[in-house]
Amino acid sequence: MSNSIIVCRCEEVTVENLEDAYHTGAITSRQIKMKTRATMGACQGRVCRNLVDLWMGNKNPLASKGVEQLSYRPPVRPITFGELAGEE
Amino acid sequence: MGNETADVVVIGGGIIGMATSYYLSKLGLDVVVVEKGEIAGGTSSKCDGNILAIDKEPGFDSQMSLKSQELVTELVKELDEEFEYRAPGSILVCENEEEMVAANAWVEHQKQAGLPFRMLDRNDIKSEWKYMADDIYGGLECATDSTVNPVLFTYALAVTAKRLGVRLKTHTTVTKIRLDANGAVEGVETSSGLIYTKQVVNAAGVWSKHIGQMVGIEVPIEPRKGHILVSSRTKSIGTRKVMEFSYLMSKFGKERKVDEETEKYGVALVFEPTASQNFLIGSSREFVGFQTQINVDVIRCIARRAIRFFPVMKDIPILRSYCGLRPWTPDHLPIVSRVEEVPGFYIAAGHEGDGISLAAITGKVMSELITDQKTTITTDPLRYDRFQKTEV
Ligand SMILES: Cc1cc2nc3c(=O)[nH]c(=O)nc-3n(C[C@H](O)[C@H](O)[C@H](O)COP(=O)(O)OP(=O)(O)OC[C@H]3O[C@@H](n4cnc5c(N)ncnc54)[C@H](O)[C@@H]3O)c2cc1C
Repeated sequence: MSNSIIVCRCEEVTVENLEDAYHTGAITSRQIKMKTRATMGACQGRVCRNLVDLWMGNKNPLASKGVEQLSYRPPVRPITFGELAGEE
Repeated sequence: MGNETADVVVIGGGIIGMATSYYLSKLGLDVVVVEKGEIAGGTSSKCDGNILAIDKEPGFDSQMSLKSQELVTELVKELDEEFEYRAPGSILVCENEEEMVAANAWVEHQKQAGLPFRMLDRNDIKSEWKYMADDIYGGLECATDSTVNPVLFTYALAVTAKRLGVRLKTHTTVTKIRLDANGAVEGVETSSGLIYTKQVVNAAGVWSKHIGQMVGIEVPIEPRKGHILVSSRTKSIGTRKVMEFSYLMSKFGKERKVDEETEKYGVALVFEPTASQNFLIGSSREFVGFQTQINVDVIRCIARRAIRFFPVMKDIPILRSYCGLRPWTPDHLPIVSRVEEVPGFYIAAGHEGDGISLAAITGKVMSELITDQKTTITTDPLRYDRFQKTEV
Protein backbone atom coordinates (compact mmCIF):
# COMPACT_ATOMS: atom_id res chain seq x y z
CA MET A 1 0.00 0.00 0.00
CA SER A 2 1.29 3.43 -0.88
CA ASN A 3 1.55 5.66 2.17
CA SER A 4 -0.46 8.49 0.68
CA ILE A 5 -3.57 6.32 0.12
CA ILE A 6 -6.56 7.71 2.01
CA VAL A 7 -8.10 5.10 4.29
CA CYS A 8 -10.82 7.24 5.86
CA ARG A 9 -12.27 9.78 3.47
CA CYS A 10 -14.48 11.62 5.95
CA GLU A 11 -11.59 12.48 8.24
CA GLU A 12 -8.91 12.39 5.53
CA VAL A 13 -6.70 9.83 7.23
CA THR A 14 -3.91 8.29 5.15
CA VAL A 15 -1.98 5.06 5.56
CA GLU A 16 0.90 7.24 6.66
CA ASN A 17 -1.21 8.66 9.51
CA LEU A 18 -2.00 5.11 10.64
CA GLU A 19 1.69 4.20 10.46
CA ASP A 20 2.64 7.24 12.54
CA ALA A 21 0.06 6.47 15.18
CA TYR A 22 1.18 2.84 15.29
CA HIS A 23 4.79 3.79 15.80
CA THR A 24 3.99 6.13 18.67
CA GLY A 25 2.29 3.36 20.56
CA ALA A 26 -1.27 2.94 19.27
CA ILE A 27 -1.36 -0.82 18.92
CA THR A 28 -5.06 -1.66 18.71
CA SER A 29 -7.84 -0.57 16.35
CA ARG A 30 -9.43 1.44 19.11
CA GLN A 31 -6.25 3.35 19.89
CA ILE A 32 -5.62 3.97 16.18
CA LYS A 33 -9.13 5.35 15.88
CA MET A 34 -8.74 7.65 18.87
CA LYS A 35 -5.41 8.97 17.63
CA THR A 36 -6.14 9.45 13.95
CA ARG A 37 -9.96 9.89 14.00
CA ALA A 38 -10.20 7.19 11.28
CA THR A 39 -13.76 5.73 11.35
CA MET A 40 -15.04 8.68 13.40
CA GLY A 41 -16.38 10.81 10.54
CA ALA A 42 -19.72 11.42 8.91
CA CYS A 43 -20.22 7.89 7.55
CA GLN A 44 -19.56 6.42 11.00
CA GLY A 45 -16.87 4.14 9.63
CA ARG A 46 -19.16 2.32 7.23
CA VAL A 47 -16.54 2.65 4.52
CA CYS A 48 -13.28 2.29 6.40
CA ARG A 49 -14.00 0.29 9.56
CA ASN A 50 -13.04 -3.03 7.95
CA LEU A 51 -10.00 -1.48 6.29
CA VAL A 52 -8.71 -0.16 9.60
CA ASP A 53 -9.35 -3.49 11.34
CA LEU A 54 -7.63 -5.35 8.50
CA TRP A 55 -4.64 -3.03 8.44
CA MET A 56 -4.31 -3.37 12.20
CA GLY A 57 -4.61 -7.15 11.99
CA ASN A 58 -1.73 -7.25 9.51
CA LYS A 59 0.44 -5.08 11.73
CA ASN A 60 -0.32 -6.89 14.89
CA PRO A 61 -2.19 -10.18 14.62
CA LEU A 62 -2.95 -10.03 18.33
CA ALA A 63 -4.61 -6.63 18.07
CA SER A 64 -8.00 -7.93 17.05
CA LYS A 65 -7.92 -11.14 19.04
CA GLY A 66 -10.04 -10.85 22.15
CA VAL A 67 -9.79 -7.11 21.89
CA GLU A 68 -12.68 -4.69 21.55
CA GLN A 69 -13.75 -4.48 17.93
CA LEU A 70 -14.65 -1.04 16.67
CA SER A 71 -18.26 -0.38 17.53
CA TYR A 72 -21.15 1.51 16.02
CA ARG A 73 -22.59 4.24 18.18
CA PRO A 74 -26.17 5.41 17.81
CA PRO A 75 -27.74 7.28 16.13
CA VAL A 76 -26.66 5.08 13.25
CA ARG A 77 -27.91 7.44 10.53
CA PRO A 78 -27.12 11.13 11.08
CA ILE A 79 -30.12 13.17 12.19
CA THR A 80 -30.23 16.79 13.28
CA PHE A 81 -30.56 18.09 16.82
CA GLY A 82 -34.00 19.35 15.80
CA GLU A 83 -35.18 15.95 14.57
CA LEU A 84 -33.95 14.27 17.71
CA ALA A 85 -35.56 16.88 19.91
CA GLY A 86 -38.84 16.14 18.16
CA GLU A 87 -39.25 19.58 16.66
CA GLU A 88 -41.00 19.99 13.30
CA MET B 1 8.19 -19.56 39.65
CA GLY B 2 9.32 -16.30 38.08
CA ASN B 3 6.69 -14.16 39.74
CA GLU B 4 6.94 -10.47 39.11
CA THR B 5 7.69 -7.87 41.72
CA ALA B 6 7.05 -4.12 41.82
CA ASP B 7 7.38 -1.20 44.23
CA VAL B 8 3.81 -0.19 43.43
CA VAL B 9 0.96 -1.81 41.51
CA VAL B 10 -1.59 0.65 40.11
CA ILE B 11 -5.02 -0.87 39.39
CA GLY B 12 -6.72 0.92 36.48
CA GLY B 13 -5.34 2.48 33.28
CA GLY B 14 -7.65 5.50 33.21
CA ILE B 15 -6.54 9.10 33.53
CA ILE B 16 -6.10 8.78 37.31
CA GLY B 17 -4.08 5.56 37.16
CA MET B 18 -1.87 6.92 34.39
CA ALA B 19 -1.23 10.26 36.12
CA THR B 20 -0.36 8.42 39.33
CA SER B 21 1.99 6.07 37.49
CA TYR B 22 3.66 8.93 35.68
CA TYR B 23 4.42 10.88 38.87
CA LEU B 24 5.56 7.72 40.67
CA SER B 25 7.94 6.82 37.84
CA LYS B 26 9.37 10.34 37.92
CA LEU B 27 10.41 9.63 41.50
CA GLY B 28 12.19 6.49 40.29
CA LEU B 29 9.77 3.88 41.59
CA ASP B 30 9.23 0.57 39.85
CA VAL B 31 5.56 0.61 38.82
CA VAL B 32 3.23 -1.92 37.18
CA VAL B 33 -0.20 -0.84 35.87
CA VAL B 34 -2.86 -3.55 35.65
CA GLU B 35 -5.77 -2.67 33.37
CA LYS B 36 -8.57 -5.10 32.54
CA GLY B 37 -9.26 -3.50 29.14
CA GLU B 38 -7.32 -0.88 27.25
CA ILE B 39 -5.61 2.31 28.41
CA ALA B 40 -8.37 4.95 28.67
CA GLY B 41 -10.99 2.31 27.87
CA GLY B 42 -13.15 3.23 30.89
CA THR B 43 -14.74 6.55 31.82
CA SER B 44 -11.68 8.49 30.66
CA SER B 45 -12.69 8.06 27.01
CA LYS B 46 -16.41 8.72 27.55
CA CYS B 47 -16.24 12.28 28.80
CA ASP B 48 -15.48 15.90 28.00
CA GLY B 49 -12.05 17.38 28.56
CA ASN B 50 -12.84 20.46 30.61
CA ILE B 51 -10.42 21.64 33.27
CA LEU B 52 -12.59 24.01 35.24
CA ALA B 53 -12.42 26.36 38.18
CA ILE B 54 -15.60 28.23 37.18
CA ASP B 55 -17.87 25.76 38.97
CA LYS B 56 -15.80 25.20 42.11
CA GLU B 57 -16.51 26.65 45.54
CA PRO B 58 -13.76 29.09 46.51
CA GLY B 59 -11.57 27.41 49.08
CA PHE B 60 -10.20 23.89 49.00
CA ASP B 61 -12.22 22.92 45.91
CA SER B 62 -10.98 25.71 43.69
CA GLN B 63 -7.42 25.63 45.06
CA MET B 64 -7.17 21.96 44.14
CA SER B 65 -8.41 22.71 40.60
CA LEU B 66 -6.07 25.66 40.15
CA LYS B 67 -3.09 23.63 41.34
CA SER B 68 -4.02 20.87 38.91
CA GLN B 69 -4.41 23.44 36.15
CA GLU B 70 -0.88 24.66 36.88
CA LEU B 71 0.51 21.12 36.75
CA VAL B 72 -1.22 20.54 33.39
CA THR B 73 0.62 23.49 31.88
CA GLU B 74 3.85 21.86 33.07
CA LEU B 75 2.77 18.52 31.62
CA VAL B 76 2.28 20.18 28.23
CA LYS B 77 6.06 20.64 28.24
CA GLU B 78 7.05 17.46 30.11
CA LEU B 79 5.09 14.75 28.29
CA ASP B 80 6.31 13.08 25.08
CA GLU B 81 3.10 13.75 23.12
CA GLU B 82 0.68 16.62 22.85
CA PHE B 83 -2.98 16.43 23.92
CA GLU B 84 -4.80 19.39 22.37
CA TYR B 85 -4.37 21.66 25.38
CA ARG B 86 -5.98 25.10 25.06
CA ALA B 87 -6.88 27.70 27.69
CA PRO B 88 -9.58 29.98 26.25
CA GLY B 89 -11.52 30.42 29.50
CA SER B 90 -15.11 29.33 29.97
CA ILE B 91 -18.48 30.97 30.58
CA LEU B 92 -21.75 30.26 32.34
CA VAL B 93 -24.97 31.80 31.00
CA CYS B 94 -28.10 32.81 32.92
CA GLU B 95 -31.71 32.33 31.83
CA ASN B 96 -33.40 34.68 34.27
CA GLU B 97 -32.92 37.53 36.73
CA GLU B 98 -32.72 35.20 39.71
CA GLU B 99 -29.77 33.35 38.22
CA MET B 100 -28.07 36.68 37.44
CA VAL B 101 -28.30 37.63 41.12
CA ALA B 102 -26.85 34.28 42.19
CA ALA B 103 -24.17 34.56 39.49
CA ASN B 104 -23.21 38.00 40.74
CA ALA B 105 -22.75 36.70 44.27
CA TRP B 106 -20.68 33.81 42.91
CA VAL B 107 -18.41 36.19 40.96
CA GLU B 108 -17.89 38.48 43.98
CA HIS B 109 -17.06 35.48 46.13
CA GLN B 110 -14.51 34.23 43.56
CA LYS B 111 -12.94 37.65 43.05
CA GLN B 112 -12.38 37.98 46.77
CA ALA B 113 -10.52 34.68 46.59
CA GLY B 114 -8.32 36.27 43.90
CA LEU B 115 -9.67 34.37 40.89
CA PRO B 116 -10.06 35.91 37.40
CA PHE B 117 -13.88 36.01 37.29
CA ARG B 118 -16.15 38.71 35.80
CA MET B 119 -19.82 39.27 35.00
CA LEU B 120 -20.99 39.46 31.37
CA ASP B 121 -24.06 41.46 30.37
CA ARG B 122 -26.46 40.80 27.52
CA ASN B 123 -24.27 42.78 25.09
CA ASP B 124 -21.09 40.96 26.05
CA ILE B 125 -22.84 37.67 25.35
CA LYS B 126 -24.38 38.86 22.10
CA SER B 127 -21.10 40.16 20.71
CA GLU B 128 -19.18 36.96 21.44
CA TRP B 129 -21.99 34.49 20.64
CA LYS B 130 -23.94 35.45 17.57
CA TYR B 131 -25.94 32.19 17.63
CA MET B 132 -26.98 32.37 21.29
CA ALA B 133 -30.74 32.69 21.95
CA ASP B 134 -31.86 36.33 22.25
CA ASP B 135 -33.50 35.97 25.66
CA ILE B 136 -30.31 35.06 27.54
CA TYR B 137 -29.81 37.57 30.37
CA GLY B 138 -26.05 37.48 30.67
CA GLY B 139 -23.48 35.35 32.40
CA LEU B 140 -20.04 35.12 33.90
CA GLU B 141 -16.55 34.22 32.78
CA CYS B 142 -13.56 32.47 34.30
CA ALA B 143 -10.64 33.53 32.13
CA THR B 144 -8.18 30.76 33.00
CA ASP B 145 -10.24 27.62 32.37
CA SER B 146 -8.76 25.18 29.90
CA THR B 147 -9.51 22.07 27.93
CA VAL B 148 -7.72 18.95 26.71
CA ASN B 149 -8.47 15.86 24.68
CA PRO B 150 -8.90 13.39 27.56
CA VAL B 151 -7.94 10.29 25.59
CA LEU B 152 -4.80 11.86 24.15
CA PHE B 153 -3.95 13.20 27.61
CA THR B 154 -4.20 9.68 29.06
CA TYR B 155 -2.14 8.25 26.18
CA ALA B 156 0.50 10.98 26.61
CA LEU B 157 0.87 10.12 30.30
CA ALA B 158 1.02 6.41 29.43
CA VAL B 159 3.64 6.78 26.70
CA THR B 160 5.86 8.94 28.90
CA ALA B 161 5.42 6.71 31.95
CA LYS B 162 6.39 3.74 29.79
CA ARG B 163 9.56 5.49 28.70
CA LEU B 164 10.35 6.07 32.37
CA GLY B 165 10.07 2.32 33.01
CA VAL B 166 6.43 1.75 33.97
CA ARG B 167 5.14 -1.64 32.81
CA LEU B 168 1.61 -1.51 31.38
CA LYS B 169 -0.36 -4.76 31.57
CA THR B 170 -3.51 -4.26 29.52
CA HIS B 171 -6.23 -6.91 29.12
CA THR B 172 -5.23 -8.13 32.54
CA THR B 173 -7.75 -8.20 35.38
CA VAL B 174 -7.00 -7.91 39.07
CA THR B 175 -8.76 -10.81 40.75
CA LYS B 176 -7.48 -10.72 44.32
CA ILE B 177 -5.25 -8.74 46.66
CA ARG B 178 -3.05 -10.78 48.99
CA LEU B 179 -2.53 -9.61 52.55
CA ASP B 180 0.11 -10.92 54.96
CA ALA B 181 -0.43 -12.12 58.53
CA ASN B 182 -0.61 -8.52 59.77
CA GLY B 183 -3.20 -7.49 57.18
CA ALA B 184 -0.72 -5.52 55.07
CA VAL B 185 -0.55 -5.71 51.27
CA GLU B 186 1.71 -8.50 50.02
CA GLY B 187 0.76 -8.95 46.38
CA VAL B 188 -1.79 -8.64 43.60
CA GLU B 189 -3.26 -11.62 41.78
CA THR B 190 -4.18 -11.03 38.16
CA SER B 191 -5.56 -13.03 35.26
CA SER B 192 -1.98 -13.47 34.10
CA GLY B 193 -0.23 -14.20 37.38
CA LEU B 194 0.87 -12.88 40.73
CA ILE B 195 2.76 -9.63 41.28
CA TYR B 196 4.53 -9.23 44.62
CA THR B 197 4.25 -5.70 45.95
CA LYS B 198 3.81 -3.92 49.25
CA GLN B 199 1.88 -1.01 47.78
CA VAL B 200 -1.29 -0.95 45.72
CA VAL B 201 -3.20 2.03 44.35
CA ASN B 202 -6.91 1.48 43.70
CA ALA B 203 -7.50 3.75 40.68
CA ALA B 204 -10.37 1.74 39.26
CA GLY B 205 -12.83 4.63 38.92
CA VAL B 206 -16.43 3.42 39.23
CA TRP B 207 -15.12 -0.10 39.80
CA SER B 208 -13.05 0.87 42.85
CA LYS B 209 -15.76 -0.29 45.25
CA HIS B 210 -15.26 -3.82 43.93
CA ILE B 211 -11.47 -3.55 44.36
CA GLY B 212 -12.00 -2.25 47.92
CA GLN B 213 -14.06 -5.31 48.75
CA MET B 214 -11.02 -7.46 47.89
CA VAL B 215 -9.38 -6.10 51.07
CA GLY B 216 -12.59 -5.97 53.09
CA ILE B 217 -13.32 -2.23 52.96
CA GLU B 218 -16.35 -0.29 51.68
CA VAL B 219 -15.42 2.42 49.18
CA PRO B 220 -18.48 4.70 48.85
CA ILE B 221 -18.25 5.29 45.08
CA GLU B 222 -21.26 4.85 42.77
CA PRO B 223 -21.65 5.22 38.98
CA ARG B 224 -23.42 8.39 37.84
CA LYS B 225 -24.24 8.09 34.17
CA GLY B 226 -23.83 10.92 31.66
CA HIS B 227 -24.68 11.16 27.94
CA ILE B 228 -22.91 13.28 25.33
CA LEU B 229 -23.89 14.15 21.74
CA VAL B 230 -21.29 14.77 19.04
CA SER B 231 -22.15 17.11 16.17
CA SER B 232 -20.85 16.69 12.66
CA ARG B 233 -18.34 19.20 11.36
CA THR B 234 -20.03 22.55 11.03
CA LYS B 235 -19.57 26.29 10.93
CA SER B 236 -18.16 27.64 14.17
CA ILE B 237 -20.83 28.20 16.81
CA GLY B 238 -18.27 29.44 19.31
CA THR B 239 -14.65 29.00 20.26
CA ARG B 240 -14.86 28.14 23.93
CA LYS B 241 -16.88 26.35 26.52
CA VAL B 242 -20.36 27.45 27.56
CA MET B 243 -22.45 25.98 30.33
CA GLU B 244 -25.72 27.08 31.82
CA PHE B 245 -25.50 28.66 35.25
CA SER B 246 -28.21 26.40 36.60
CA TYR B 247 -25.71 23.56 36.01
CA LEU B 248 -24.18 24.73 39.29
CA MET B 249 -27.51 24.21 40.98
CA SER B 250 -27.77 20.65 39.67
CA LYS B 251 -24.17 19.94 40.58
CA PHE B 252 -24.68 20.87 44.19
CA GLY B 253 -28.19 19.44 44.34
CA LYS B 254 -29.86 22.86 44.60
CA GLU B 255 -33.18 23.68 43.01
CA ARG B 256 -33.47 24.57 39.32
CA LYS B 257 -36.33 26.00 37.32
CA VAL B 258 -36.65 23.49 34.49
CA ASP B 259 -39.23 21.04 33.16
CA GLU B 260 -39.77 17.65 34.74
CA GLU B 261 -37.73 15.56 32.29
CA THR B 262 -34.76 17.92 32.35
CA GLU B 263 -34.83 17.70 36.13
CA LYS B 264 -35.32 13.93 36.19
CA TYR B 265 -32.34 13.19 33.92
CA GLY B 266 -30.21 15.97 35.45
CA VAL B 267 -29.77 17.54 32.01
CA ALA B 268 -27.79 20.78 31.78
CA LEU B 269 -26.15 22.34 28.75
CA VAL B 270 -22.42 21.91 28.29
CA PHE B 271 -21.15 23.11 24.90
CA GLU B 272 -17.57 22.22 24.06
CA PRO B 273 -15.95 22.97 20.69
CA THR B 274 -13.30 20.35 19.84
CA ALA B 275 -10.04 20.56 17.94
CA SER B 276 -11.71 18.61 15.10
CA GLN B 277 -14.11 21.39 13.99
CA ASN B 278 -17.16 19.89 15.61
CA PHE B 279 -18.62 20.22 19.08
CA LEU B 280 -19.77 18.11 22.00
CA ILE B 281 -23.08 18.71 23.75
CA GLY B 282 -23.72 17.40 27.23
CA SER B 283 -24.91 16.26 29.56
CA SER B 284 -27.04 14.29 31.98
CA ARG B 285 -26.57 13.01 35.53
CA GLU B 286 -28.36 9.82 36.56
CA PHE B 287 -27.97 6.97 39.02
CA VAL B 288 -28.94 3.93 36.97
CA GLY B 289 -26.29 1.42 38.01
CA PHE B 290 -23.65 0.15 35.60
CA GLN B 291 -25.74 0.04 32.44
CA THR B 292 -24.27 2.05 29.58
CA GLN B 293 -26.93 1.84 26.87
CA ILE B 294 -27.87 5.11 25.17
CA ASN B 295 -31.26 6.20 26.49
CA VAL B 296 -33.07 7.97 23.64
CA ASP B 297 -35.31 9.89 26.05
CA VAL B 298 -32.22 11.35 27.68
CA ILE B 299 -30.45 12.38 24.48
CA ARG B 300 -33.72 13.87 23.18
CA CYS B 301 -33.88 15.97 26.33
CA ILE B 302 -30.23 17.05 25.87
CA ALA B 303 -30.91 18.03 22.22
CA ARG B 304 -33.90 20.11 23.33
CA ARG B 305 -31.80 21.87 25.94
CA ALA B 306 -29.08 22.61 23.36
CA ILE B 307 -31.62 24.17 20.98
CA ARG B 308 -33.03 26.28 23.81
CA PHE B 309 -29.66 28.03 24.11
CA PHE B 310 -28.55 27.71 20.46
CA PRO B 311 -31.62 27.67 18.18
CA VAL B 312 -29.31 27.32 15.16
CA MET B 313 -28.46 23.76 16.23
CA LYS B 314 -31.90 22.63 15.11
CA ASP B 315 -30.47 22.02 11.64
CA ILE B 316 -27.02 20.72 12.58
CA PRO B 317 -26.55 16.95 12.20
CA ILE B 318 -25.56 14.76 15.13
CA LEU B 319 -22.76 12.33 14.37
CA ARG B 320 -23.12 10.02 17.34
CA SER B 321 -23.72 9.83 21.04
CA TYR B 322 -22.00 8.06 23.89
CA CYS B 323 -22.25 7.76 27.61
CA GLY B 324 -19.94 7.24 30.53
CA LEU B 325 -20.10 6.51 34.24
CA ARG B 326 -18.81 9.20 36.58
CA PRO B 327 -17.31 7.89 39.80
CA TRP B 328 -19.53 9.68 42.34
CA THR B 329 -18.83 10.12 46.07
CA PRO B 330 -21.32 11.36 48.70
CA ASP B 331 -19.55 14.72 49.21
CA HIS B 332 -18.43 15.38 45.59
CA LEU B 333 -14.75 15.25 46.52
CA PRO B 334 -12.51 12.38 45.38
CA ILE B 335 -10.75 9.96 47.71
CA VAL B 336 -6.98 10.42 47.48
CA SER B 337 -5.73 8.63 50.53
CA ARG B 338 -4.01 5.79 52.26
CA VAL B 339 -6.23 3.29 54.03
CA GLU B 340 -4.97 3.00 57.60
CA GLU B 341 -6.50 -0.39 58.34
CA VAL B 342 -4.84 -2.02 55.31
CA PRO B 343 -1.17 -0.93 55.32
CA GLY B 344 0.07 -0.43 51.75
CA PHE B 345 -3.43 0.07 50.27
CA TYR B 346 -4.20 3.45 48.69
CA ILE B 347 -7.24 4.88 46.91
CA ALA B 348 -7.20 7.45 44.10
CA ALA B 349 -10.77 7.47 42.80
CA GLY B 350 -14.19 9.09 42.99
CA HIS B 351 -13.58 12.22 40.90
CA GLU B 352 -17.11 12.27 39.50
CA GLY B 353 -17.21 14.95 36.76
CA ASP B 354 -13.72 16.29 37.47
CA GLY B 355 -11.34 13.41 36.88
CA ILE B 356 -9.68 15.03 33.89
CA SER B 357 -9.36 18.34 35.76
CA LEU B 358 -7.94 16.75 38.87
CA ALA B 359 -5.80 13.95 37.41
CA ALA B 360 -2.55 15.90 37.59
CA ILE B 361 -2.89 17.00 41.22
CA THR B 362 -4.19 13.55 42.18
CA GLY B 363 -1.22 11.77 40.61
CA LYS B 364 1.24 14.20 42.16
CA VAL B 365 -0.23 13.92 45.65
CA MET B 366 -0.50 10.15 45.39
CA SER B 367 3.21 9.90 44.53
CA GLU B 368 3.97 12.10 47.54
CA LEU B 369 1.83 10.02 49.92
CA ILE B 370 3.45 6.78 48.77
CA THR B 371 6.97 8.14 49.23
CA ASP B 372 6.13 9.82 52.55
CA GLN B 373 6.78 13.36 51.36
CA LYS B 374 4.98 16.55 52.26
CA THR B 375 2.01 16.81 49.88
CA THR B 376 1.56 19.70 47.41
CA ILE B 377 -1.89 20.44 48.86
CA THR B 378 -3.41 19.37 52.17
CA THR B 379 -5.14 16.01 51.80
CA ASP B 380 -7.38 16.05 54.88
CA PRO B 381 -10.59 16.72 52.89
CA LEU B 382 -9.68 13.81 50.59
CA ARG B 383 -9.10 11.18 53.27
CA TYR B 384 -10.84 7.83 53.01
CA ASP B 385 -11.82 7.80 56.70
CA ARG B 386 -13.91 11.00 56.42
CA PHE B 387 -16.87 8.81 55.45
CA GLN B 388 -16.41 6.41 58.34
CA LYS B 389 -16.43 9.28 60.84
CA THR B 390 -19.76 10.69 59.67
CA GLU B 391 -21.43 7.29 59.74
CA VAL B 392 -20.57 6.58 63.39
C1 LIG C 1 -20.42 12.49 30.30
C2 LIG C 1 -19.19 12.79 31.12
C3 LIG C 1 -18.54 14.02 30.98
C4 LIG C 1 -17.41 14.32 31.73
N1 LIG C 1 -16.77 15.52 31.54
C5 LIG C 1 -15.65 15.81 32.25
C6 LIG C 1 -14.96 17.04 32.05
O1 LIG C 1 -15.33 17.86 31.21
N2 LIG C 1 -13.88 17.31 32.84
C7 LIG C 1 -13.45 16.43 33.79
O2 LIG C 1 -12.49 16.73 34.50
N3 LIG C 1 -14.06 15.24 33.97
C8 LIG C 1 -15.16 14.91 33.23
N4 LIG C 1 -15.80 13.72 33.44
C9 LIG C 1 -15.32 12.84 34.52
C10 LIG C 1 -14.11 12.01 34.13
O3 LIG C 1 -14.36 11.37 32.89
C11 LIG C 1 -13.83 10.95 35.21
O4 LIG C 1 -13.79 11.55 36.48
C12 LIG C 1 -12.49 10.25 34.95
O5 LIG C 1 -12.43 9.78 33.63
C13 LIG C 1 -12.28 9.11 35.92
O6 LIG C 1 -11.03 8.52 35.62
P1 LIG C 1 -10.55 7.21 36.36
O7 LIG C 1 -9.17 6.95 35.91
O8 LIG C 1 -10.82 7.32 37.81
O9 LIG C 1 -11.57 6.07 35.84
P2 LIG C 1 -11.55 5.22 34.49
O10 LIG C 1 -11.12 6.00 33.34
O11 LIG C 1 -12.86 4.53 34.40
O12 LIG C 1 -10.41 4.14 34.77
C14 LIG C 1 -10.59 3.06 35.64
C15 LIG C 1 -10.00 1.83 34.98
O13 LIG C 1 -9.96 0.73 35.90
C16 LIG C 1 -10.08 -0.45 35.16
N5 LIG C 1 -10.46 -1.56 36.05
C17 LIG C 1 -11.63 -1.70 36.74
N6 LIG C 1 -11.63 -2.87 37.41
C18 LIG C 1 -10.44 -3.47 37.17
C19 LIG C 1 -9.85 -4.71 37.59
N7 LIG C 1 -10.48 -5.57 38.41
N8 LIG C 1 -8.62 -5.02 37.12
C20 LIG C 1 -7.96 -4.18 36.28
N9 LIG C 1 -8.47 -2.99 35.87
C21 LIG C 1 -9.70 -2.64 36.30
C22 LIG C 1 -11.14 -0.10 34.14
O14 LIG C 1 -11.10 -0.97 33.03
C23 LIG C 1 -10.82 1.36 33.80
O15 LIG C 1 -10.07 1.49 32.62
C24 LIG C 1 -16.92 13.38 32.68
C25 LIG C 1 -17.55 12.14 32.80
C26 LIG C 1 -18.67 11.83 32.03
C27 LIG C 1 -19.32 10.48 32.18
